[in-house]
Amino acid sequence: MKPTERFKRRYISFSLSLAGKMPAYSEAKEIIHVHFLSFFGESGISALAFKLVKYDAPSGEGILRCERSRTDEAIFCMACLSEWKGSPARLAPLSTSGTIKRL
Amino acid sequence: MDIVRFEPNESEGAGRALPVSSLPFFFDSADAKAAKQFCRKKGALLHCAGYEVDDGDLLELARAGGAIAFSFSDVLGERGFRRSILISKMRLLLSACRKRGTLFIFVTLAKDATQIRSARELAAFAAVLGANDVERKEAEKKLQTMVSK
Repeated sequence: MKPTERFKRRYISFSLSLAGKMPAYSEAKEIIHVHFLSFFGESGISALAFKLVKYDAPSGEGILRCERSRTDEAIFCMACLSEWKGSPARLAPLSTSGTIKRL
Repeated sequence: MDIVRFEPNESEGAGRALPVSSLPFFFDSADAKAAKQFCRKKGALLHCAGYEVDDGDLLELARAGGAIAFSFSDVLGERGFRRSILISKMRLLLSACRKRGTLFIFVTLAKDATQIRSARELAAFAAVLGANDVERKEAEKKLQTMVSK
């Protein structure tokens, strides 16, 4: 496939906190995947080119990937996370870039 | 700039937020019927929890120099199917506002510090509802002028 035919990607760095603490990698992955799946649905996720690229458990910061034209939807989805299994949760977007290096 | 429902504290990251209690032109209504009475007030900022306002009332609000407020905390308060219905109603109201020339603004109306969202998140909220960049900037400008009066 030509590079021009591929998804145009954007990388969003974020910070995740669960009840004031930074969740472990497995828990963070579950929170993000379940939340995005419930927000976008299976079809939406496929069009979003979504991927959790990186997550650093001690700092609670990570990077996720989405399709360029749907960056706003991805950020809105992140902002909509307010609680997880009864505990307050926050998935705050920090910055957006076309490359991981520049985040 | 943001409007919230509690007394903001700088240490909680709500430095540029104004409490609703300090804005005499802010009106809350549950539905279209209740919203009717506020549409003729000059420079009114109207938040309708049901996001259903009659076209005639929107026209009156536009003539009076008022605006409709879209609240992010309303989205946070709902979940699943009900959240999707609410977003759909917000989209319809925004397109009705555009048609009638009524201005709109995007605020959090947060009930506590955990519901406060950044400017980037509010911009994404506006974009998801269908507002373009020009309308978003106009909304920010309108909020600034309303608050500075």
